Amino acid sequence: MNVITASNSHSGSPGLIRRLGKALSTPFDPEDYLALFNPLQSAREIRARVTGVHRESDQAVTLTLQPNRLWKGHRAGQHVLLGVDIGGVRHQRCFSLSSAPGDALTISVKRQGRGGVSDHLVSRCREGDVLTLAEPAGDFVLPETTPERLLMVTAGSGITPVHSIVKSLLASNFDGKVTWVHFERHYQQLMLSDSLAALRQDPRLDLRLVVSGDSPRDGDQAGRLDAQWLTENIADAAGQTVFTCGPAGFLDTVMEWHGEHGRAPLFHERFKAAPVVAGEGGRVHFSRTGGQAEAAAGLSLLEAAEQAGLKPKHGCRMGICHTCKCKVSKGRVRDLQSGESRELNGQEVRICIHAAEGDVELDL
Amino acid sequence: MNAKVDHFDPIVFERPGVTLTRSQVEAFGREIDALREEIMADLGEQDARYIRNLVRTQKGMELAGRGLLFLGVLPPAWLAGTALLSVSKILENMEIGHNVMHAQWDWLGDPALDSSTYDWDNTCPAEQWKHSHNYMHHTFTNVVGKDRDVGYGIMRMSDEQRWNPAYLFQPAYNWVLASFFQWGVAFHDLEYEKLLKGEKSWAEYREQRRKIMKKVRKQVGKDYLLFPLLAGPFAPWVLAGNATANLTRNLWSYLIIFCGHFTEHAEMFSEAEIENETRGQWYLRQLLGSSNLEGGPLFHIMSGNLSHQIEHHLFPDMPSNRYKQVAPKVREIAERYGLHYNSGRLSRQFGTVLKRINRLALPSRRTRKNATV
Repeated sequence: MNVITASNSHSGSPGLIRRLGKALSTPFDPEDYLALFNPLQSAREIRARVTGVHRESDQAVTLTLQPNRLWKGHRAGQHVLLGVDIGGVRHQRCFSLSSAPGDALTISVKRQGRGGVSDHLVSRCREGDVLTLAEPAGDFVLPETTPERLLMVTAGSGITPVHSIVKSLLASNFDGKVTWVHFERHYQQLMLSDSLAALRQDPRLDLRLVVSGDSPRDGDQAGRLDAQWLTENIADAAGQTVFTCGPAGFLDTVMEWHGEHGRAPLFHERFKAAPVVAGEGGRVHFSRTGGQAEAAAGLSLLEAAEQAGLKPKHGCRMGICHTCKCKVSKGRVRDLQSGESRELNGQEVRICIHAAEGDVELDL
Repeated sequence: MNAKVDHFDPIVFERPGVTLTRSQVEAFGREIDALREEIMADLGEQDARYIRNLVRTQKGMELAGRGLLFLGVLPPAWLAGTALLSVSKILENMEIGHNVMHAQWDWLGDPALDSSTYDWDNTCPAEQWKHSHNYMHHTFTNVVGKDRDVGYGIMRMSDEQRWNPAYLFQPAYNWVLASFFQWGVAFHDLEYEKLLKGEKSWAEYREQRRKIMKKVRKQVGKDYLLFPLLAGPFAPWVLAGNATANLTRNLWSYLIIFCGHFTEHAEMFSEAEIENETRGQWYLRQLLGSSNLEGGPLFHIMSGNLSHQIEHHLFPDMPSNRYKQVAPKVREIAERYGLHYNSGRLSRQFGTVLKRINRLALPSRRTRKNATV
């Protein structure tokens, strides 16, 4: 409690001190100078120091993070866009937060292929490293009024957001019942196993671990999810509010089952967006103005926007002045000068020298 | 006239002793393109480390400089503080700010070094700078009437500009511009003469001026009001130190920038010459309109690597620490095509700039219209 009091008494003075600091450091921020002494300091981005690295297995890690004061907390079940510098270049990827709000912030990461963010976090991240976080996002969270009976169905790294939800639920005065079925191939791959063992002690939680590749240990089951599993194994599964998270095929099975039998709401979290269709030319969607346009191969996004009647800001039209830079929310674009094609997810490109390849969503 | 005119591959470039056909110019362009791709594909951790270390060094020098100026009653502290602040302002404006705003470091994905959000320690607002510099100056380099860096609206730097008697005084007010260079930069995008000609509306002008004044108030407030006030009784020393640092930065950046495009052999172009210009011809114009300065590694960093003005104009968004590496290759390509690669020491290059300023203060003796680009 005294932590909150301390931060409250602090909040009266920043107004004047901050304005003075800002005026003395203009056009920069005081944090740009303070960062010389503490790399967590920043006025424009949430930075977090890694204060704990817990190896879950050789394929997964749980990182404890200490964010700077720009972090305003998250709701259980939300994810965050995490940034890390690899080879000097910022790479970003979304991860679910595995901690309950109020606890030390953690993310649990399973390696997805080589060379990316997850690989870096699993193999090379050390205590003391500084990462960046965006605002937490996502609506895979408990509804305003918590249902009395909840059914959690997870597989693989789908465990992380549900761990956060269940942990915060059990820490509250919740007096209902949660059934949580988690599917895993091998015990070795199971993340957050220490925490699960502790949660299991709570009588309000019925946690069942279902393994398909190892022989089950005490109290666990063998098997894998199919269309009947939930109906056959969980009493009145169809009548409970369902939270589910896991690989695409797994989610499809749960959602099909729910579509057929479910009588209560279902919440789900999908980790990977549906793949983007690539091709020569494509359709450009303008997310701000709402329109769209067909763009032939070789037609720049700028020209496509102009043909659709928009007037994007631009300069040289040859890629040198960067005036036309615009965010591509998602889609694949081709650099008309180098011919290189790349998939974008919220990055900015010069629209005068990039063309659409398939569906492209442009922030115009 | 050349007897064997090839209509499929006409001569598009002529200078004394050199002619290039269209296909030769395009081949030249492709070689420059290839050079660019080679470097851009090679960018990585070392480049990232270079800029981040430089930012830390600059910020550290600035803090140390401003700290020492509080002890400015002691002459050595004043001198050291002023020197540190001057160098830090030069580094911030030139090797960091100018280059970051050119999007040289956007590939890092670091919001602190991103062209869309960076603003520099200069009275010119980033937004207007990016328009007048990145777009107008870099696209229309040395095109009289388009590139406002040609004389900043107050000096006659080319025969193509019509003479008037006010230019008689330019050898003198050149030094005023040099001393107040950041103010010249801040206000030159207002294009007041376009306003007088009715090519620009008063509303647009007022809006631009409002944004400039907003930045000016902050900049002046910091260096000439708040820091001196913080020093209490030592205010005069802090004020003098800050003013000297700004003056030093102004003179130095003026010197480097005027040597970039106004040396003896730097060519000027007319709007007619750039009609339907190809990428190869654009490269050619960048090469011929720019001039390099020779010096050691420290000199290059202090000049924001604008000592490699030619390379900067060919590759405005290539990280500046790589110019040194491409310069010999650019020179080799230029020489192979018989093109003049304008390079020399600062003293010599600036001497020719002064010569140009003096010569053009007087009306041109004859119209010196020659080659085509």
